[in-house]
Parts: sequence; structure tokens; C-alpha cells
Amino acid sequence: MLRDVTFGQYYPGNSFVHKMDARIKLILTLLFMVGIFFVKSFVVFGFVTVLLLAIIFVARVPLKSVLKSIKGIIVLLLLTAIINIFFTKGEDGEQPLWSWWKIEIYVAGLKSAAKIFLRLVYLVIGSSVLTLTTTPVDLTHAVESLLKPLRIVKFPVHEFALIMSLTLSFIPSLIEETDRIIRAQKARGADFDTGGLIKRAKAFIPILIPLLVGGFRRAEELANAMNSRCYEGATKRTCMRVMKLSWRDLVGAFVMIAFFTGVFLLYGMSKQWSVDVAWLYY
Amino acid sequence: MEVINLNNVSYYYKAYNDDGTVGSAIGVEGVTLSVNEGAFVALVGHNGCGKSTLAKLLNGLLIPKGGTVTVFGLDTAKKENIFEIRKNVGMVFQNPDNQMVASIVEEDVAFGPENLGVPQKEIVERVNEALEQVGMTEFAKRSPHRLSGGQKQRIAIAGALAIRPKILVLDESTAMLDPQGRKEVLEVAHRLNAQGMTVLLITHFMEEVLDCDQVVVMNNGHVVKIGTPTEIFQDKRLLEDAGLRAPRTAELARALAEAGFDVSVRETDALKLGGDVCRNLQK
Repeated sequence: MLRDVTFGQYYPGNSFVHKMDARIKLILTLLFMVGIFFVKSFVVFGFVTVLLLAIIFVARVPLKSVLKSIKGIIVLLLLTAIINIFFTKGEDGEQPLWSWWKIEIYVAGLKSAAKIFLRLVYLVIGSSVLTLTTTPVDLTHAVESLLKPLRIVKFPVHEFALIMSLTLSFIPSLIEETDRIIRAQKARGADFDTGGLIKRAKAFIPILIPLLVGGFRRAEELANAMNSRCYEGATKRTCMRVMKLSWRDLVGAFVMIAFFTGVFLLYGMSKQWSVDVAWLYY
Repeated sequence: MEVINLNNVSYYYKAYNDDGTVGSAIGVEGVTLSVNEGAFVALVGHNGCGKSTLAKLLNGLLIPKGGTVTVFGLDTAKKENIFEIRKNVGMVFQNPDNQMVASIVEEDVAFGPENLGVPQKEIVERVNEALEQVGMTEFAKRSPHRLSGGQKQRIAIAGALAIRPKILVLDESTAMLDPQGRKEVLEVAHRLNAQGMTVLLITHFMEEVLDCDQVVVMNNGHVVKIGTPTEIFQDKRLLEDAGLRAPRTAELARALAEAGFDVSVRETDALKLGGDVCRNLQK
């Protein structure tokens, strides 16, 4: 039951994208996420689609598992799309496409709804490509490495990364424990599956309390184990894992940066060029 | 050479009584003990007798409230000694899941040497060596939570070994394991001991005590007897008081001797006992 839950959605593989440095992938994903908001026209969205499909193809992750990530935000997608359709007013003088009572739908509304929809979908797809091709452990290391400059302002980077890493390693055992507690309570007649929302929520208290108490006990044992293994904070710690940049990172970074430089340029110059190459802004 | 010395050590826990007052409960009291280099010492007693308290006193997780604990001549009560002491005393606890720091085996083993500030290349060497010592090399890249209890506990031992300690303390490390897992862990402990490691095995399974050099019996926070396994198994009264029971083979040997058979009461091997009985009957 609960045991099947795995954290993260890493899809094991050996592809070009899998082998890229996690730090570079993280930065490029952030670039992609920011860049997507500077895309204004459907033509450029077409380019982004081609880029994403190319990345997914190179990463050799099944398209199905990439698309699965959209399922989680489907409500949000529909909601934003509907709001955009009904609440975007057309430019002055534009006739509504359809109207009834006080509700009017304009072409502009449909367009902006479609764009928001695409942006959110691509945002989720882009980040899921990262999590599909990078192990949570690698991501933790990448975050630690990228946040290192924050040490100057006394941000506890190492502790932050350690917390992330401990969280990852304790999720499986906590899930197991939850499962065990649920079964123990069920065996004593607890009922989790009937009744209204409040009744069901209340039924979870007998699960949460033992879980919390157990969590504290685990934390103490872990602290003892860590102390016994000479843990004294980040002061002089070294790290076994070396992260090396390879030609793949160079190629990947070049492609992404080139693409989004184009996107940013188009965005910045839209005013002068919009007459000459109007098709790019359609 | 003496590596661990406890001199009249006491430790008390705070106890919160039902009426809201704070009293104290005995952890250990008046314990004097010395362990020699290369020894395999078993510490036995029923639950709550102070075994784990004693273990935690050995590497400065707890500081004695009375008496002194010295490891390689270093006093655990002095803060500046703690790091050096922990480098020399590897400790493995009861629940393997609660000792894992990382979600990949080799990274978990690397945690100790990383803390010591060992250079990256040497960490890799140490991790490989430690995993080899416990026979878990092939699992280096795996996730620990998919392994069996015995395997997890061997990883935990590897994590301690990567620090290259001279003493290994197994604090009820076999208590949560199935017989197969217990066997795996004990084999590793004995192999390490044969290579010169001082091992302190804390347990309540008397079968595990059979192959030890020295057995320390604890009851209610006190050390009640120190001796060889056979000496301890002879003393039925002592074991009963301590809430323990000698292994079946030891009890069998004594019963046979009492019934007039010519068998050694020190014999703990069931097969040899059987042979002795047959020989007696032939006569």
C-alpha cells in the first residue's frame, strides 16, 4: 500500500541528459522556467515545443512519464484557463466572440488562456525532465554547491543540504512506520474509510501522534549515531563526491543559452521589429 | 595494553515522577572495568540494566557523573579529547534505519571520513576498504532501505570502520535482526577481532557470548561478574538474578555432568557433547 510510494520520480538511464552535471541541469532548468515567461507568440511556443521534445528524446525518458507530471496541476490549469477566457477584455472596439448576459468572450481571452496554459504545462514538463534524469541525491549536492556563495552572508549552506539529505533518507522508513501504525490501529478497530471529512481527519490523529513521538526518538538515535561518527558541523568537512563538468554540460548549456538569448532578444526588440516580422508575434 | 578503563563510574538519568517531581534513576553505578587491546568482550544483562548507558559513556555521548572513563589514556570528561576518542571508538547502534545518514550506501559510509576532513581520494579508498571488510562492496551504489536488516547493520559497521577506529562497540546491534542477520553481523565482528580490532559486544542473546574472551554481566546498573563464558555459565544463580539464561548447550553440559556423565562442563559445542555422551555409554 503506502510502501509503493517512492519519493521523487527518477527514471534510471544512461543518456546524455542523465550524465550531465546536476548543477548545470539545475541552472538550465531555472533559465528555462524564467525564459518561458518571455515567450509571447505561438510561433515561438512552437520552437519551445520542438526544443522540449528534442530534450526528452535525447534524455530517453518515456513521453508518458513526462506527461504524467501534468496530472498534478490539472485543476490549476483549468482554473487559470477559465479565468483568462472569461475575464480578459478585448481591445477597444473589438466585438466579443460570444456573449450572454454579462459574460463575454473575446479572441484575446482565448489567446491569453492558451498561452498561460502552455506556459504552465511547459514549466512542469521542464522541471520534471530535471527530476526524471537526476537522482534526489545529486540534486541535493547540486543545491549545496550552488548555494555555497551564500556562506558569505552566514547562511548555513551545509546544514541546509544535510537536512535535505536526511529528509530523503528518512522518507522510506517513515512511510514504512506510517503503514505499520495504520495497520496496528486498524487491527484495534480504528476506522479510516467511512464518515465525513472531519470524522476522517480526526481518525488520523491516532496515526500522527505515534508517528511524531517515533520521529523524535529516531532523531535522538540519529544524533547519537552522527556524533559517534565524529560529526562536528561543517567546519573542516570534506566531500567524497566530486562533480565534474564535461563536454555534455558545455553542449547542453550552449543550446539552452542560445535558444533563450533568442527568446529574450525577441522580447526586448518586439517594438521595432513587430512590423517587419509580424509572424513572430502572432 | 589497556585501551578502555572505567574507574568507579556512575551515571544517573533524570526521572520524572508521576507527581511531577524530578528524581534520578540509576544508569550505571560504581562500574570499574578495564578492556585490553585486541580483546573480544561481551557485555550482557537484561533490558534496562545499564548496558547501553555504559556504551554511551565509552565515546563521550554521555559524560560520567562520578568516576572517570579513559580511552587510550584520554579522559572523556575533557571536551578537547572527545574528537580523538570518537576517532578511536567506532559505535554501531540497535536500529539500522536510524543510523543511516545518506540514501546511498557509499555516501553513508563516507560520512565519517568526510567529518574527519580526509582528502577526497582517501575517502574513496577508505569507503571501498570498509565495504570490503563487511562484504558489501557490490551494494555500494544501492539505496540502504531496500537491503535486509543484517545487510543494513553491516553497512553501519562499515560506516564506523571507515573512520578507522581501534575499538568497535556494537550496542545491541543484533537485537533487531533475524538469525541470519545476527550471524552475518557476528561473523564480521569476529573477523575484525581476528585482525586485531578490540570488540565490545553488547547483547542479551547468550549464544553470542560463547566465543568471547571475557563476559561482563550487568544488573541494575552494576557490574555483577566478570569472567570467561564458561565461568559465567556455571553460575546459574547469578544468571537468574540478572534475568539471563545460559545457552542450551551449556545447560545441557551441566545437566549431564550432574547426572554422572564424564563430560566437561566447559564444553559448549552440542556435537562434541553428543560424542562425549556416546563414549560414556559405550563404556
